[in-house]
Amino acid sequence: MSAELLTLLGAWSIATLRSATPLIFTTLGETLTQRTGIINLGIEGEMLAGACVGFAVGVATGNPWLGLLAGALAGVALSCLHAALVLGANANQIGSGLAVWMIALGTTSYFGRALVGNQVTPLPDLGSQLTDGLPFLGSFFGQMTMSVPLAIAAVAFAAWWLAHTRTGIQWQAVGESARISSENGIRPKVVRLKAILLGGLLSGFGGAILSVDYTQTWAQDMTKGRGLISVGLVIVARWKPVLVLPICIIFGLAEVAVLRMQTAGWSISPHLLATTPYLVVLLILIISHAAARRDTDMPADLRRVFA
Amino acid sequence: MQKAIACFENVTRRFGDLIAVNDANLEIFPGEVTAILGENGAGKSTLMKLLYGVHLPSSGRILINGEPSAITGPADAMINGVGMVFQNFSLLSALTVRDNLLLAWPKTPYWVSENNKGTKEVLANLTRLAPHINPHSKVSNLSVGEQQLVELCKVLNISARIVILDEPTSVLTPAESRRLHGFIRQLADEGVSVVLITHKLADVEACADRIAVMRKGQIVDVSPRGQKSMSEIVTLMMGSDVKREISPPALPKKRVEKLFLNKICATAPGMSLKDISLSIAAGEVVGLAGVAGNGQALLAEVLAGIHPATSGDVALDGISLIRRNQMETLATPLGYIPELPRKNAVVENMTLAKNLNLRALASGKADVNNEVQDLLTRFHVNPPEIDRYASTLSGGNLQKLVSARELGRPRAAILACYPTMGLDISAIQMIYREIFAQAEAGAAVLWISEDLDDLIAGSHRIAIIRDGQLVAVKDNDGKLNRDTLGAMMTGLKPERKVA
Repeated sequence: MSAELLTLLGAWSIATLRSATPLIFTTLGETLTQRTGIINLGIEGEMLAGACVGFAVGVATGNPWLGLLAGALAGVALSCLHAALVLGANANQIGSGLAVWMIALGTTSYFGRALVGNQVTPLPDLGSQLTDGLPFLGSFFGQMTMSVPLAIAAVAFAAWWLAHTRTGIQWQAVGESARISSENGIRPKVVRLKAILLGGLLSGFGGAILSVDYTQTWAQDMTKGRGLISVGLVIVARWKPVLVLPICIIFGLAEVAVLRMQTAGWSISPHLLATTPYLVVLLILIISHAAARRDTDMPADLRRVFA
Repeated sequence: MQKAIACFENVTRRFGDLIAVNDANLEIFPGEVTAILGENGAGKSTLMKLLYGVHLPSSGRILINGEPSAITGPADAMINGVGMVFQNFSLLSALTVRDNLLLAWPKTPYWVSENNKGTKEVLANLTRLAPHINPHSKVSNLSVGEQQLVELCKVLNISARIVILDEPTSVLTPAESRRLHGFIRQLADEGVSVVLITHKLADVEACADRIAVMRKGQIVDVSPRGQKSMSEIVTLMMGSDVKREISPPALPKKRVEKLFLNKICATAPGMSLKDISLSIAAGEVVGLAGVAGNGQALLAEVLAGIHPATSGDVALDGISLIRRNQMETLATPLGYIPELPRKNAVVENMTLAKNLNLRALASGKADVNNEVQDLLTRFHVNPPEIDRYASTLSGGNLQKLVSARELGRPRAAILACYPTMGLDISAIQMIYREIFAQAEAGAAVLWISEDLDDLIAGSHRIAIIRDGQLVAVKDNDGKLNRDTLGAMMTGLKPERKVA
């Protein structure tokens, strides 16, 4: 009895972690970008580009790691456009982000047609001879790839880095006020450029994990708004990198629950059922706002974007 | 003669058509306090921001230790030993004191932790200067005086040879100002050049060695302290022999109570008013003194009917002015000049004419008329163009615009919050003249200000607010002075002067 329960729990946690991993990377990237006072709605597009390029390179080379790397670089390349528009031309950040998204949606749909139906070599699982024989851990590690521990490590490192390094403190400062930062000898545009590029890197990587590692397929517009969800999850995580992990996992859990409910044959429309993760996140947002009692922990310079 | 540490040679800085600094020549010597004195907008801050690298000169050059300055930004300035404390501070209120100090320190190690030497070193000056400040508390939790200490620590941390202080005493209580003056002298004695940007003669008297006077972008005079009398310096500052003499009109013989505040209580986030009672007679000017953030803003909003009161009442000629709930719409009969007029008193994307007639617009009577043009001219609003948008006016002119609306027509009572903020001396004179004219015509005036000298010179009575309560209401009988008021404002005993 307990063994069955354990297997079920194991299956759920694996599914949740794997579903949450792409989101963890993109949300972490967007959190760091927003901490410097820049909002990038283009991460949806950067994620798509990462998924498309990553899958293509993975298929072509047969090496999933090269695919992930290429996906991350595609994200960086696309984020350069956002940086050029926002920092170079002082464009409206929302408008620029949407433009980046649309460009990525169009180009990946066009170039991605050739990829549909292709097979990609998956990342090796973490199972080893040591764990294979074990009843519970065996299947747990057998279904997990390197991407999950990588995501957890990235969050932990970013949270620590932001609070405990010179650059991290500078990033926070720029997000609070570009003017005051520059009076303190920081060059805000350089910091923001780095933050946008890092956001692009992590989004592209997250997108590549989605196509190469998680679904192992390519489909047109396969991110289906996950990038924009990340922008929302940043708010739920109150701009704190450390909260990115639990928030994304809760979202992933809700997604998995929806899939299970569908397969279990619930008589609710799958379209309605698919709204569950968003309702859960909305609920958390309301609770956390009510509990915090302050309006937000939003970086002060980010408000400028909406002013 | 000593060698100058910094030297301005024919420096000019333009912003579009505006010449902020015009052909300035100035030498700054080590171990000296150089005061840069001038009216608001005279170019004092811009001149020093050129040295600190916030702006670059349009023409001319700056020498540091005899070499042309290679400073192209504040980061360079810090490396070259130039530190600046800005008027509105360069602290990030959402970050901790320690992080703020680390940000401004060129030697900050990459990995910051409690144990490494670099991180400890950055706090050394803080421990020496202000041991009571917890380095891990957020700057937003500090008082203004404490924030200034943190700013000074930043400058000390870079071992600055030139320390620029921009209007440092404008936010301090008299006691805090005196402590700062002593600290400035101490820095100079250690061989540091201190540049003190100020428009207060008290600062100059307290600690300057040399006085440079600026007017309209030009340095009109540089002289060692003691060479010129204070009245000569004031004359230089203002260009003409305008004296800042203000005196309120004589009180009417018969006292008629006009504006009556009865036990007002109100709460707002972070502030509450407790039992404020005050009665102001027709023709009387009552000054309200207090350190910023002790409830002045809330009191003003309650009186103007913007913020509801939880209990108590305000009556003007026996008619209640108070707002009972948020849904009520009422236009205040007071002439009300709020603080921060850009935020609180104008509609920026409306013309000057409409802004002057906001009350008429609200009541549906659109009587935009030629009275408007007269008001703009009478209150020196520059440029006096009725079709110009309010957003295009400078801060000082916006203040004059609001004064024109509130003081330009007869009022039964005046509520003025910092009515002279950002104005030059001739405009200040004009505003006071208009306020006193209203009083002479029978208005009750409540005047909120931080300028104690002006309050003492211009009020019949002075009320002191602290922590949302009126702690004293004193007749201005010639016995009040800065120290007694300052003591009541802070709740401390008047400090004895430290030699």
